[in-house]
This record gives sequence, C-alpha cells and structure tokens, in this order.
Amino acid sequence: MRSPIRVMPRGVTGPSVRFGVPVGALGFALLLGAIILAIAGNDPIEAYRTMFDASLNGWKSQSRTLALATPLILTGLAAAVAFQMRVYNIGGEGQLYLGAIGASWVGLALPASTPMPLMLSAMLIVGALAGALWALLAAIPKAYFNADEIITTLMLNFIALSLMNWLIFGSRSFWRDPRRPVPGGKRLPENAVMPSISGRLHIGIIIAVVAAVFLWWLLRKTSWGFQIRTIGDSPRAASYAGMSVRLKTLTVLALSGALAAIAGVSEVSGVTKGLEPVALTTNIGFTGIIVAVVARSNPLGVVPVSIFLAAIATSGSRLQSIGINVEVVLLLQGLIFLTVTAGEFFVTNSVSLARTDATATETEAAA
Amino acid sequence: MNSATHLEVRNLTKSFYGVPAIDAVDFDLRGGEIHGLLGENGAGKSTLCSVLSGLYKPNSGTVSIDGQAVQFRSPQDASNHGVGMVYQHFRLVDSFTVAQNVVLGMHKRQRPRSMRQVESMVADLAEEFGLHVNPTASIWQLSVGEQQRVEILKQLFRGARILILDEPTAVLAAQETDRLFEAVSTMVAKGHSVVLVSHKMAETMAYTDRITVLRRGVNAGSVTTADTTPAEVARMMFGDSAAAERTNFATAHDIGEPVLSLSGVSVQGDHGLMAVDDASFTVRRGQVVGVAGVAGNGQRELQEVIAGLRTPVNGTIEIAGTDCTTAGPKKTAQAGLAYVPEDRLGVGLAPGLPLEHNIVLKSYDRSPHSRRGVLSNTEIEKTMNKLVEKFDVRGNRSGMRVSLMSGGNLQKAILARELNEDHQVLLAAAPTRGLDMAAAEAVRAHIIEERAKRGVLVFSEDLDEIVKMSDVVLVMFKGRIVGSFPSDDIDLDEIGLLMTGSGTPDPAVQARL
Repeated sequence: MRSPIRVMPRGVTGPSVRFGVPVGALGFALLLGAIILAIAGNDPIEAYRTMFDASLNGWKSQSRTLALATPLILTGLAAAVAFQMRVYNIGGEGQLYLGAIGASWVGLALPASTPMPLMLSAMLIVGALAGALWALLAAIPKAYFNADEIITTLMLNFIALSLMNWLIFGSRSFWRDPRRPVPGGKRLPENAVMPSISGRLHIGIIIAVVAAVFLWWLLRKTSWGFQIRTIGDSPRAASYAGMSVRLKTLTVLALSGALAAIAGVSEVSGVTKGLEPVALTTNIGFTGIIVAVVARSNPLGVVPVSIFLAAIATSGSRLQSIGINVEVVLLLQGLIFLTVTAGEFFVTNSVSLARTDATATETEAAA
Repeated sequence: MNSATHLEVRNLTKSFYGVPAIDAVDFDLRGGEIHGLLGENGAGKSTLCSVLSGLYKPNSGTVSIDGQAVQFRSPQDASNHGVGMVYQHFRLVDSFTVAQNVVLGMHKRQRPRSMRQVESMVADLAEEFGLHVNPTASIWQLSVGEQQRVEILKQLFRGARILILDEPTAVLAAQETDRLFEAVSTMVAKGHSVVLVSHKMAETMAYTDRITVLRRGVNAGSVTTADTTPAEVARMMFGDSAAAERTNFATAHDIGEPVLSLSGVSVQGDHGLMAVDDASFTVRRGQVVGVAGVAGNGQRELQEVIAGLRTPVNGTIEIAGTDCTTAGPKKTAQAGLAYVPEDRLGVGLAPGLPLEHNIVLKSYDRSPHSRRGVLSNTEIEKTMNKLVEKFDVRGNRSGMRVSLMSGGNLQKAILARELNEDHQVLLAAAPTRGLDMAAAEAVRAHIIEERAKRGVLVFSEDLDEIVKMSDVVLVMFKGRIVGSFPSDDIDLDEIGLLMTGSGTPDPAVQARL
C-alpha cells in the first residue's frame, strides 16, 4: 500500500509560506484552544477578548506585555545564535543568574554617585562577561573534548541557581542586605536602575531590540556570520573551507551566554532592583529556548515571538479573574508552541494528495 | 565435497533510478566451495550480495537454491533459506553479550528460551568451526577479529549454509586473516558454501576454488582458480580496452617547474596503521598525474593531507615552492591548491545553504565579497552569475539549498569555485563519479584545460579515466605508491596487478619520481 499523501521538499521557500504557515498554525492553535475552553465550560470568545484586552489593547496592557517580553527577547537571542551553529545552549537560565549576580555586584560596588550611563554600561559589561565565562565552562569541554553541551549547559543551570541562592540565603555575602529580616539582596542605588519608560517597562526593551537587529546583521551580513551559518549546516564543509570550528564554538557559546546574561542585567536593574533569587527564577532562560525554536533561530523573529508569548502570559492573571484556570492558559501556550513547531514541516516540505492513477498502480503491482 | 550447484543466479538485474547496478548477471555457487567475487568499486558486488541476502528485490532474473526458485522478501527470509551475510561493517550491539547478539532479532520460537542454553550452543558452534569467542563477553570488550567471528556465528546459528563474506579481511591483521580462513575451510569441509567478496588478489588466489569477476554490473567471467593467473583476473577486472581508446592528450606541451611535491609523507590511519606510507612524488606545471587504486588504500588520507586537513607524521609537502606540511586548509589553499573533494555534499559544499553561499565558501572573507568583515551580497551575486555562466551550472533557483541540484551541476559548481581562485595545482578526487556522460565529459575538459597552465593531481577508481587523462599514472596500494607509469609506457596488466596487491612493486619507483 502506498501512502495517498505525497511529500516533496520545497526548493525555495517564499515569504507567503514562511509567514503564512506560522500564522495558520497560530489560528489552528487558537481554534483548538477554543474547543478546549468550550469543553472546560468557558466562553471562548469572551476568553480571547479578555486575553486581547489584558495584553495588547491599549498602551497600559502593551507596556506590561513588552516589559515581560524584554528578558525573553534576550534569552531567545541567546538560544537562537547558538542554534544557528547547531550548538544547543540550554544554559540560558544559569547564564541569566550570572548576569544578574555580576551586574548587581557592579551596581553595589561602584559609588552610588557614579553617573547613570557609566554605571549601567559597567553593569552591562560585567554582567555579560560573567555570563560569557559561565558559558565557556561548557564551551571549552565541547570544543576540545566534544563533551555534549546540552548536558553541561543544563547542569550549570543548577550550579548557578545554587550559587545565587547561597549568596542571598546561605551566606552573609556582599549582595545580601543584613538589615532585612527576610533574606534579600541589597537595593541597587538609583543610578544603577534602568529608567522606566512606562510602568514596569524600562529601557531594557531598547537594548533587547537593538541586540536583535545587531545579531541579525552579524549573522546575515558579516563574514563572521557566514562562518557560523556554514558550520551550522556542515562542519566538515566548514573545515574544508578552512574555518576553525573550535574557535567558533567558543565564541558563539560565549556570545550566547553574554546575551542571556544581559537578560539578567536587565531584570536585576530594571525590575527587581537588587539580587532577588525568588523574583529572578521565572524560567526566562528556558522559555528563551522555546522562543528561539518558534522563531526558527532568526533574531528578527525572536522579537515578535517573545512579545506574543509575553502577551499570553500577561493575559493569564486576567483570565483567572473571569474564572478560567491558569492551567488552561498554560495549555494554550503549549498548543501554540506545538503547532508552530510542527508547522516547520510544512515550511520545508510541500504536501499534496497523490494522484490516484489506477493504471500506474496496476503496473507497479505487476512489476 | 558436494560439487552440485547450490545457489544459481540467472539473468539477475537490479536498477536504481533506471540505471542498472547489475545487469543480467549469471552466477553459480557450488556446494562446498569458496567462491571469490571480485570487481572494482561500483562493479556491482555489493548489489549482487544485497539481492542474495534479501536486502534488495531484483528487477528481473531468478535466484534458486538447490534447484528451487526463491524470492526473498527480507534478510530474515533469506536467512530462513540458509543464506547469511557478514557485512564489512559489523551490525552488533556493543553493550550486549555475544550470545545476546547471536539471537538478536530471532523469533521466540526459533531460539532456545534460556540464555544459558544459547551460550552453550554458541560455545559448541565456536568449538566446531574454530571461531573462538567467549559467549558471555560483551561486544565492546572484543577485538575486531572476535567481533567478526560473532557475526559469522550469528549466521551459522541461524542455520546458514551459504555465507557471504563482504571484504572480511579489510579490517583484520595478518594473523587474524589466517585464523579466519582456517575457520572458512572448516565450514567448507562441512559442506557450507562461501562467497568471498574481495579486492585483494593474493588472498583470492590463495583461498578460493573459483572466481567470478564483475565489471560495470556485468559478469566478466567465472574461472577456476587453479587454472588462472592473477594477470588474467586483473584483466577481467579492469579491462584491456582502455589503451585502444586512449586519447593522447600528451601532445607537445611544456612541462614546467614542480607545483606540488611530496617527500616521504606518512599519515596515521584510524586504526594505528599507516594510511599513507612514505609517499613521494611530484606534480609539475603542465602535467596531469593520475593516482589509480582500489578505494580504501589510503587515497582519502593522501588527499586530506595534501589539502591540509590532516597533518602527516613524517615527510614534507610543498605547493608551488611554499612548505605546506603543517599549514592547515586555509594557508594551503592560499599557497595555490584548488581542491575538489570526493564527497561533494557535506565536504565540498554546505548542502543546506544556497549556491551563492557555496560559490564564495573560500573567498567570502576577501575583497570584493567582503570588506572589513561585512559581506557584499551584490558582489557575491555577481561572482555567482559569472561562474554559473562560465561553467554552465544549471538548475539553481534563488535561495534554493544546493542539495536539490543534480550531481553534475554540483560538481561544476565546486570546480567553478575552486578554479576561480588563484591556484597553481588542482587536486581532484573522483571528479566524475556518479555523473552522467555529458557532465563527466565537461568536468574532464575543465581538468585537461587546467593542464595548459597549471598542474593537476587526479584520483579516480575508474582506471580507464585515469589512463585517458594522465601524463603519469601512479598506483596506490595499502598506503604506498607501488607503481609509476609515464603515459607512453602504460602497462594495464601490470597496473591491474599492482592495484590488487600482486605484481612486482617497482623498487625504482621512489627513485624515479
């Protein structure tokens, strides 16, 4: 029996397919979600309207969504740049903590009177460096002994988490505020706090978007990106062409770690305003991996995907207020991720019904 | 010994995409004989074996065992009919024991319930045939020779009466080879029949009863080993027509200074043996030097060491006067080496990226394709369009991944890129393999054209092609250059013998080069 469905790889993927498929997948997810909402006894239309109002309707909602998207864009970029070279950095979460630790150290150590631009730049640089070095702990074994970076980066997350918890809960470290009865971080001075744009939205969003554009340019328009894309496609062809796969593994993972760390800088400086382990451990690093997959590792795709995921998350609390379980929101989020990634198959392949030609089948049977 | 025909193949044809890999092949295997199956790479040996072992279904023709026509639906089915194949690359589960591997995939009803029982049966079989191996050992603990014994035991355990051994000695050291053939003689003495697929003349002559030679998918003859000579078999393998149709390109042209010189180059192989052993030769401007040899005799390692992808353990490599022994691929290319690798997709090209990316794979970081690290897409596209036209590369669409282009166009694209670079010598490995006639001819024309101004070193498994194109033919066997023939003194019989490891290696070869 031959399958009646014919699958052919597409030679060229036009923009209609590249954008149409994810949008179609999104529609499909919302449709499935509507059915689930209806089964759960909710009005899907009311639910979707509430979601839209809470996350995307009006500047107040929009700024809240963008605030949540800011660190996601950065961790999404961190995962995306590594994916471009088929290196899997699962350590964004830990690198983010290191960025937060590094940046808060600078913010607390420099005199409070340090001018804000200088203070913030120093925090960004030190935070990024901390994340890059943390990523190198996995990159060096990968480059020299081919140790699986998925395992090493994943494990380093737990170490980074323990380190941050120890700094605040387990020791009288420089970061911990001794005056607070409940252990917490020292509050950052005013000049170490990223200025707010509106409500919780701060200038971190600008850093994130600039980083996305810069990364896109780096990957698509420079000879450095040329090498990354070649290695990602075929490391053997890259070596043949004289590229150093080892060196690129180190630099790409360091860059990836730095980007995830900047998310940590942005959070600690713009949101928590001190090293607060509980507020910082919201799985932004892990969600960034989802963002990168859905955005197909395209830095420019990371921005809308992050905003979209942030929108779903911000609408969650409002949905609960109209009596919808938070689990349903998580379910919807999972559905969208699943359909959009499954949609990838339709982007690279064209699927059609095979012609059912009786004579062709007969000759084949005879042969 | 039973001399009746055990396995009979008549008119067997198997095509892939309309191209026959074996074409109307007849083949007889008698009971209790060791039958050598010889042929060049691509002659159809593997295809024939795969049909016999039930992996492929033939397009036409019959296979009969003991006079009964059979049609195998699967390797399992072939095994039920007593045909077992031992592949060159073992199919064993490393973490399982010998006994577990032996019964792996067998139906419950076909095998004893208890592993203890299997172990004792395996031990008995091992004893009976002299295939000593501990049934409770895990595969990863065993040497290559022992693993091969497990593969053979696996087939014997399933009741194989006809064993097909695919280049069994390729992975073995000399001592293990002797032990293997002792076991094979025991099997044959007990009435089993063995098909020995091989490239090596010496062992085929020493151990087989009869020999069948395949050449380009056709049976080039079956002979009784005792009545033939290595020279005759070599002629059957490689043909003797090449000399007649040889286009002598060696018309008057100037031979210039050396553009590629190797002196005493040795390369460590993957198993500790020397993959390339003390190779010395020179390619001069205006010369095509062809390297003939059966695949797996160190050609790949030799290519890679010249291209700077490997470092030799001994010796020096010079390209156009620059020492490139440890230069690495980039500096070697800059010194003047253009390299068309054997593996087009994956090494020569990044398969998932578009043509324009691949066209500038080696020049992306230089002006005009990039300035200060920033790529110029207009310039890259200009280069692509220029080369696509010049080299007649067809089938590209903007943004399409190159892996969807045909082999001939891929090869033209690689040639276009390599020849567009400033270079002094072209290294081309199997440049026409898998190409249709027209594309192969176009590729050859480019190579010949190169000779006018530069030097060419070409590797090919197609002896005809080598002889047709080269001013000097080198023969490679087991990592050594064992023969050197100038174009006016080609001895095809001798080349064939040298390629299969017999014949007299010319002691003066190294000196003459």
